Amino acid sequence: MQYRPTAGELLITIGDLLDDELLPALPPELQHKARVAANLTRILDREWRLDGDARQRERERLAALLGHEGELGELRAELTARLRAGANPAFEAASWDVLVAVGRDDLAIAKPGHDAWEGA
Amino acid sequence: MTVVGTVPDLGTGLARFLADVFDRPVTVSNLAHSSAGARRANVLFDAHDGERLLRLVATVLPTSEIEINPIAAEAAVRTVAEQHGVPVPHIHAVCTDPAYVGGPFFVSDRVDGESVPRRVLRLVHREGIGERVARQLGEALGRLHAIDPGLAPTELAGTGETNPAEVALTDADAGVRELLPNRPVFALGLRWLERRLPAPPERRTIVHTDARNGNLIVGANGLRAVLDWEGARRMGDPMQDMAWPALRMWRFREDEREIGGFAGREPFVAGYEAAGGQFDVERFEWWKVLGTLRWGLGLAGQADAHLDGRFPSVVMAASGRRVPELEWDLLMLLRP
Repeated sequence: MQYRPTAGELLITIGDLLDDELLPALPPELQHKARVAANLTRILDREWRLDGDARQRERERLAALLGHEGELGELRAELTARLRAGANPAFEAASWDVLVAVGRDDLAIAKPGHDAWEGA
Repeated sequence: MTVVGTVPDLGTGLARFLADVFDRPVTVSNLAHSSAGARRANVLFDAHDGERLLRLVATVLPTSEIEINPIAAEAAVRTVAEQHGVPVPHIHAVCTDPAYVGGPFFVSDRVDGESVPRRVLRLVHREGIGERVARQLGEALGRLHAIDPGLAPTELAGTGETNPAEVALTDADAGVRELLPNRPVFALGLRWLERRLPAPPERRTIVHTDARNGNLIVGANGLRAVLDWEGARRMGDPMQDMAWPALRMWRFREDEREIGGFAGREPFVAGYEAAGGQFDVERFEWWKVLGTLRWGLGLAGQADAHLDGRFPSVVMAASGRRVPELEWDLLMLLRP
């Protein structure tokens, strides 16, 4: 077992280094890359903390939608194939609800707040 | 913007080219890089020909092999648009000879104003001109679509298409199969698009394809120029052009203002119709879904180019993690 800091704590530390110390010292053409890299450390921290539960919830939701248990990758592939082939409106509507819920979990990692806007 | 101290060759090459074009000695000074896309560089500079001081921009492609449209065709369609009242920076000369600056380029007038999206939005809302800019963008597209596409260079892409929507959908389907095979949201989106595929448009027109916040120059009095004509097509569906600036991606957090974060749809459509455009809401909604799906595909393609080593960059890598944003936007458009 590793001693602390945790992976998430280290990622935050690297992100702060990039943003607060390195970025102001960088030439302008490299600043955007540093900002993007700092943002990626925050995504990875959230992934490290949230992804296990999120994938568990995704698997349960897809299993309920498809009516059988399975491994997450297989369930995703099955749903994708059914939607691509064209399903009945009731199944598409139920899928939409599930995909919105899964999307909220994905965004909690990738871009918190993006799901606050529900308009077109 | 940064002053460039390390590219004397560029200044020398531009001076030599302009001297050949104007047939008199030209001095070039104050070179500075403007914000640039991944592929092309925009270099601001001053040129003096002994009598006049010209404030110019050189748009330089690093190599000719990655052009979407031949650069001469891009310059020609932009000039046709200018002649029909679309605001664009005037092009002085085009150069396809890589001997001057290492790649093909064209030189155009420098138009003052903001073009970086968030700065554009700060200016627009400080001046209270959001509705005006949306209306002016509609007018610019209306004028572009009123042009006889026979006047556009035949080298432009899209010339032989009878149904641009069908071509776009076929391409998107192939792209999703390659890059996003197990993403159910994209499958749902493709099926939606197939079911609602519009018939060929009554009139096919020149289309810009990327006239969104970020490719516009805006000043305190409104829209000054539409930039970046590299993706222009000759025989397009005009609603493709109307839908693209309406994507959430171009609102930069001003989500309730559909058109580029400037304003809602009404002034945009009013400007379009005042300039002779015919707005078709169903076709517009179709292209909005197609555009959103295609932008998600573009982000997946950037991650792919990073991962297979074609374009290694942390920015391209990060694009892959933006795919869920586009999936969300797509779901909101596909709400049952």
